[in-house]
Amino acid sequence: MSDGASTGILDQARVEFDRALKRNIKGLGYFTSSAPVLGASPKDRLLQRGTMNLYHYRPMSDEVYRVPLLLIMATTNRGYIFDMVPEQSLVEYLLKAGFDVFMLDWDAPRADEKHLGIDDYVLDFLPSCIERVQQETGEDDFTIVGYCFGGVLSALWAGLHPDAPLKNLVCFTTPVNFSEMEMFQAWSDRRFFDVDRLVDSFGNCPADYLYTAFDMLRPGARIAGNIRLMDNMWNDEFVKSFRMFDRWAADMLPLAGEYFRETTKKLMWNNELYNGTMELGGRRVDLGAITAPFLHVTAIHDHIVPSAASAPLIEMIGSTDKEAVAMKGGHVSLVAGGNAIKRLWPKLTDWLSERST
Amino acid sequence: MAGTTPTDPASLFREMLGQWENMANEFGANVLKSGEFTRVMHGANAANIKFKEARTDMMEKALDAANMPSKSEIADISARLHRIEATVERIESMLSGQVGGITPSEPPRPKPKRTRTPPAKAAG
Repeated sequence: MSDGASTGILDQARVEFDRALKRNIKGLGYFTSSAPVLGASPKDRLLQRGTMNLYHYRPMSDEVYRVPLLLIMATTNRGYIFDMVPEQSLVEYLLKAGFDVFMLDWDAPRADEKHLGIDDYVLDFLPSCIERVQQETGEDDFTIVGYCFGGVLSALWAGLHPDAPLKNLVCFTTPVNFSEMEMFQAWSDRRFFDVDRLVDSFGNCPADYLYTAFDMLRPGARIAGNIRLMDNMWNDEFVKSFRMFDRWAADMLPLAGEYFRETTKKLMWNNELYNGTMELGGRRVDLGAITAPFLHVTAIHDHIVPSAASAPLIEMIGSTDKEAVAMKGGHVSLVAGGNAIKRLWPKLTDWLSERST
Repeated sequence: MAGTTPTDPASLFREMLGQWENMANEFGANVLKSGEFTRVMHGANAANIKFKEARTDMMEKALDAANMPSKSEIADISARLHRIEATVERIESMLSGQVGGITPSEPPRPKPKRTRTPPAKAAG
C-alpha cells in the first residue's frame, strides 16, 4: 500500500473517531435539550372560529406589493411548515421580498365540529378569510397559495367563484386525479373500508390514523431516518433540521368527520373533481372557469401526491396564463428546507412579483 | 463521495442503508397496497371500533348509575361554552368597531405602502 493511501485511511479513521466522540457528547444533548421553536415569525390572529385561524404576518418592509397573499394550509398538518425557523421560513422569505402575507391555518377540530364538511371549508371558512384580508388591506384583489389539500380547497373555491377578484392562484403538489394515489386508493377500497362506521363511531377521524397512513407510505423511512440521525448526531445542522421536520410530521391534525367522509366518498371513491361531477352547495365545480394566472408546482419524488395525481390539474384550469413546474424534491422538501430555499422560493417570488402590482 | 477512500467502511454502511431503505420502501409498498393487507387492516380497525363502542356503552351505563355526566354530555357542554365564547367575542368586536375579528390588544401599527414594483431584471 502506498504512503498516500495509508495517510488517506488514517485521515478517514481520524474523522470517524472524531465524529463518534461528538455523537456521544451531542447525543446526550439531543435527549436533554428542547426542540427548536417553530412558527415564531411575528403575526396577529385576525380571525378564529373553531378549527379555523387566519393570521396576518407583520410586514418586514416599508413598501409591499399591492396584492396581498393568502397561504392556505392543508387540513391534515400545521401551517408552521411555511415558517420553520429564521432563514428557513417561506413566510419570512416572502415578507422580505415585499409581500403582505396572510395564512389560513387549522387547529384540531373539536368534537362538536364533526359535522363540518368540505362545503364548510370552501364556502364558509375560505370566503370569511378572503373578506377579512380584503378588509385588512383595503384591496379587492388577492393571491391564493394552497399547499396539498389546501390547494384542493383553493381550486374548489376558485372554480365556484370565477368572478371573484382572484389575482393569482398558486398550488403546491395539489392532487386532482385521486385514482392515481395508489396507496391511499388501496387503503380506502370501498369493499373493505367502512368510512361511515369510522366517522359515526369516532366523530372526527383521529390524527393517529392519518399519521399511521402517511408513515406506511414509506415503510423503511422511519428506521432509516433514525439510523441516519444517529450517524449524523455530530452534525448540528442535520440534527436541527431532523428535529424540525420530525416534529412537524408528527404534529398531525384530526379531520372533521363529515369532511373525511366526503373526501373519501367524493374524491377517493368517485374521483368527482377529476371527472367534473363534484358539487358543493348545490353548484357544480368548474375548474375550467378559473381564469386567474395559475402556477402549479409539483415535486418529482413526491410519495404522497404522485405526479400522475397532480399533473392533470394544469390542463383542467381555464387560465391562459398558466405554468406547471416539476421540481426536484419530495412532498415536504419542495416547500421547506434547503431544497426549497434554492428552488421553489425564488421561483415563487419571481412569478408572483410580476403579477402582484 | 468526495473525501472517501475505497475502503471507507462508514461510507459503505451509508450506501447500504440507502439501498436497504429503497428496498424496504418498495417491498413494503407492494405488500401494504395488496387487497389482502387492506382487508386485514380494516378487519382489525373494525374490531377496534366494535371494542370501543362496547366500552363506551358500558362506561355510559356505569356513569349513569353513578349519577355522573358521560363524555358526550361533557362534550355537549363544552360545545355550548365555545358557542357562548364565540358570541361574546363577536359582541366585543362589534362594540370596538372590529366586526368579525378579535380586538387587538395593541394600537394599530402603521401600514406599509402598497406601491412596490418588481425588481428590474438584469439584461442579458
